[in-house]
Amino acid sequence: MSHTIQELLLKVHQVNLRYDKQILRDVNFEIHNIVRPDMNQGQVVSLVGRSGVGKTQLFKILAGLIKPSTGKVTIDIDQHEVKPGEVGIIPQNYILFNHRTVYHNLKIGLDFSGKKISEKEEQDIINEYADKFHLREHLKKYPMMLSGGQRQRVSIIQQVLTGNKFILLDEPFSGLDMLMIDRVVDLLLNVSTINDFNTLIIVSHDIENALAISDTAFILANQEGQEGATITEKIDLVSLGFAWNPGIKQNAQFQELVAGMKHRI
Amino acid sequence: MKEQLKGLVQPFHTLNKKAMLALIVGETAIALLLWQLSGSELIPRPTDIMKSFFTMLHSNPEFMENIIISLSLSFQGMGISLILALFISYLSLIPLFSPIANFIIKCRYLTLAGLNFTFIVLLPNDPHLLKISLLLFGIVPFFVTSFLSILDGINTQEYDLCKTLRMNSWQTMWEVVIVGRIDQALEVMRQNFAISWIMITTVEGLQMSGGGLGTMVVKSSRFIDLGTIYAILLTIFFLGVFFDYILGVIRHWLFPYTKLQIRK
Repeated sequence: MSHTIQELLLKVHQVNLRYDKQILRDVNFEIHNIVRPDMNQGQVVSLVGRSGVGKTQLFKILAGLIKPSTGKVTIDIDQHEVKPGEVGIIPQNYILFNHRTVYHNLKIGLDFSGKKISEKEEQDIINEYADKFHLREHLKKYPMMLSGGQRQRVSIIQQVLTGNKFILLDEPFSGLDMLMIDRVVDLLLNVSTINDFNTLIIVSHDIENALAISDTAFILANQEGQEGATITEKIDLVSLGFAWNPGIKQNAQFQELVAGMKHRI
Repeated sequence: MKEQLKGLVQPFHTLNKKAMLALIVGETAIALLLWQLSGSELIPRPTDIMKSFFTMLHSNPEFMENIIISLSLSFQGMGISLILALFISYLSLIPLFSPIANFIIKCRYLTLAGLNFTFIVLLPNDPHLLKISLLLFGIVPFFVTSFLSILDGINTQEYDLCKTLRMNSWQTMWEVVIVGRIDQALEVMRQNFAISWIMITTVEGLQMSGGGLGTMVVKSSRFIDLGTIYAILLTIFFLGVFFDYILGVIRHWLFPYTKLQIRK
């Protein structure tokens, strides 16, 4: 697969988090822009680890919502330190404003995007995204009237409309059946190709689905005799030939990789 | 039929509207019948109360006037309390004002009877303002307490969402706390309307000039006119239930999404 690895987009540098005990220890990883000729190719990166290992804390650090005890997260071409509002988040329970309709939840994303556009243009953009992600008929509904999958889509589009290139997703496959997981995979791939710099970071314990959609995966795990989780392994799925392949889950070598990883987290 | 009867005593079993109405009517009829049959000298029977009520309605022109006085006082007190309590609750999120809100919450433990004298000294020439002040002092601490517990219960992820949408802290407060919880402010108001309505008798009893249902109760007590006292109490009860219902309807009408939060 023809591609080039270009500029650094996100860097996690020596991140440590300690409360009453060490949660994260010396976490380091980088995400680079992957460019494929003649197409928009955003990045999909997975942070895989077992439940309770500290994924959610790392998720919040990446979003700039909590400060690490030491270390830093830098983003964009100029590699400045991340601030809240520069990285979108999709929490596991798809938090939306329950007092606003789907339309107004999406509008709020646009309102805070910093773009000066008219009401009509806003309406057109929202309708366009609603059509693309099968939400047109739900625009007048309140979030509590939606299914989990629909809420997830609204949540993702809200963040996309804000203009965030980095979007973090906490356990996006959690509690979904097989059919829904396939739809979420399609949705995420769709979002990642909207813009060349779009970077989706999936935090999950679902190794198979996370890897099936990713270009790169990092394993967050504890090491024997040391307190606090750290990145223990990086898997370059592009080099292994597993990336950008819709039917990869049926590949025997891919399944072997997944099985091996299950033992390592 | 057997299943329906079994459902009556099963936790979380929901009845349809018709069945629930039949249940309410049935239980009310049984309660009234038992009351009628077991009446004593001290507790007038429902028929005695109804007689007193209609006598009062036809022969006491002050009755309707007093209802209007009490309602007007209650609405004024409730309206001002709502504005004050919301203002104090919102301010409590700003560290500078947080101790003030906490002090107001603790004022729940102050008794109105003792404060009556202070208010009389401060407002000697205005009985209406005196009653409103007593009412405010009685309602606002409960209102603030209820509303702050709602604010405390807000999921922190909502604040995180605002941050990721690039809202500043004032915009977050507007979206999550003010606009996002305005329906719950109305619900707290509905719950506290009951407190305000009950306090009417206390406040009007403490300060009798100006009339009102509370004054009527106190006057009737002097003559041990139990039928009239119970008739007034029932009037207060049914008006309270009526306004509780109306406020509930208004809440659902203004904020349709609140209907979705009801267990069905």
